[in-house]
Amino acid sequence: MTVTETSPSLIATLPGTAYTDEAVFAAEQERIFEAQWFCAARSSDLTGPGSFRTVQVGRESVLLTRNRKGEARAFFNVCRHRGARLCTEESGEAKRSFQCPYHAWTYDFDGKLVAAPNLTKMPDIDRVEYGLATISVQEWLGYIWVCLAPEPPSFDETVRSAVVERLGDLESIEAYDVEHLAVGRRIVYDVKANWKLIVENFMECYHCATIHPELTEVLPEFADGYAAQYFVGHGAEFGDGVKGFTVDGSEGLERIPGVSEDQDRRYYAITVKPQVFINLVPDHVIFHRMYPMAADRTVVECDWLYLPGVVESGKDVAASVELFHRVNQQDFDACERCQPAMSSRVYARGGVLVPSEHHIGEFHEWVQDKIAGAVPSAPTA
Amino acid sequence: MLPVCPLSSLAPGEALRVEADPPIAVFHTEDGEVFAVDDTCTHQDASLADGWLEGCEIECPLHASRFDLRTGQVDAPPAKKPVRTHRVLVEDGHIFVELSADEPNLPPGVSVAGQAATGGPL
Repeated sequence: MTVTETSPSLIATLPGTAYTDEAVFAAEQERIFEAQWFCAARSSDLTGPGSFRTVQVGRESVLLTRNRKGEARAFFNVCRHRGARLCTEESGEAKRSFQCPYHAWTYDFDGKLVAAPNLTKMPDIDRVEYGLATISVQEWLGYIWVCLAPEPPSFDETVRSAVVERLGDLESIEAYDVEHLAVGRRIVYDVKANWKLIVENFMECYHCATIHPELTEVLPEFADGYAAQYFVGHGAEFGDGVKGFTVDGSEGLERIPGVSEDQDRRYYAITVKPQVFINLVPDHVIFHRMYPMAADRTVVECDWLYLPGVVESGKDVAASVELFHRVNQQDFDACERCQPAMSSRVYARGGVLVPSEHHIGEFHEWVQDKIAGAVPSAPTA
Repeated sequence: MLPVCPLSSLAPGEALRVEADPPIAVFHTEDGEVFAVDDTCTHQDASLADGWLEGCEIECPLHASRFDLRTGQVDAPPAKKPVRTHRVLVEDGHIFVELSADEPNLPPGVSVAGQAATGGPL
């Protein structure tokens, strides 16, 4: 940071160009989204062998599936022959294999090249070497995480550690048994804003009392502007008379059995850089994944996860979903309100962070450190 | 008789391509039966050993033609001609194949050694 604010209360944000510049976004795609662990899909989205999803990770299209043993697999969605996009659908079920529609190069669910016209006449072709290019995969919390780097960073030190940093330990999240919860509702938001605006928004609660009346009603301490993410291990307590984490404070759903007395009637929020937000409440978990598509566009996929029995019995989760759906809409509206102004001359040097937002500065330093040297004329804050 | 491999080294559900002229494919079904057919699909050059084995049926990995391993008959197009079958013997835990004397039904462009290939590059 080269700009010195004259008011000690304030520290600088990133400059406006960090949110609009194509070169900055390209560097983030390469150095962040293609280099870090990226939460790509819910494990249950892939129901069995050949069930697939395609997702955008950085600049690449990634094909997610399960092999015949049911293990999650991820590949670059590119035919090794002439480069045709192998799967163009967002999701589906491949029956036997992935076959390129161009020349019928055919790959099994482990990515191996199993057939191609006249392949038997070319016995020198190594079927693994010319199989689909493989991407590292981890399954954790019932999600499929991928890393496009040839040598991924430690999952413990980059993903699990983010949870420990927030909650104090891993047991605190294990109590919610996120892996075995069922998707009660999924909403996908197409947000016309840079991904960093969304992260920053999620990290602070200075805006809560202004734009989240329903949330502040349920979590009165949010009115002081300090987010649940500010203090390690602290969960915001439900207000007196609030029965559950619902839009009107009415009774929630069945409590997750592992949730401790200390965790009951509390809300915990976790940011796993670069693109995951997790919210824990006693009866459900709200799990956000961001898919940055362009400097000014981010797709956010949000799951509301409940005990399987709650989902199977068809219980009404509407009041429960509605609370955070409103929060999401309020937040994304705010982010979309900021995006156009990022290119204003007034914001060329960026804006400021008040003390309850100062921890966002660490996120900015993390981003700048990751992309250092990758942007030819990198703007500095 | 062509010795193939010990039965124990070909797990149920697996297939093996055996280099012969033309190559043959040996299948060990989930039910424990062993079958042998010409490895090359009669529709286009592709290895049936790389196909999808289900019951006594093999599906070609390239265009999903299906053949009955017991008779070689086509169960699903685009293949039109049956695939030649070979007799299998399992003796002392070892798989042997007795190669058929019938004419193989090979796809365009594929021939046995010593014969001119029919068809050619586009």
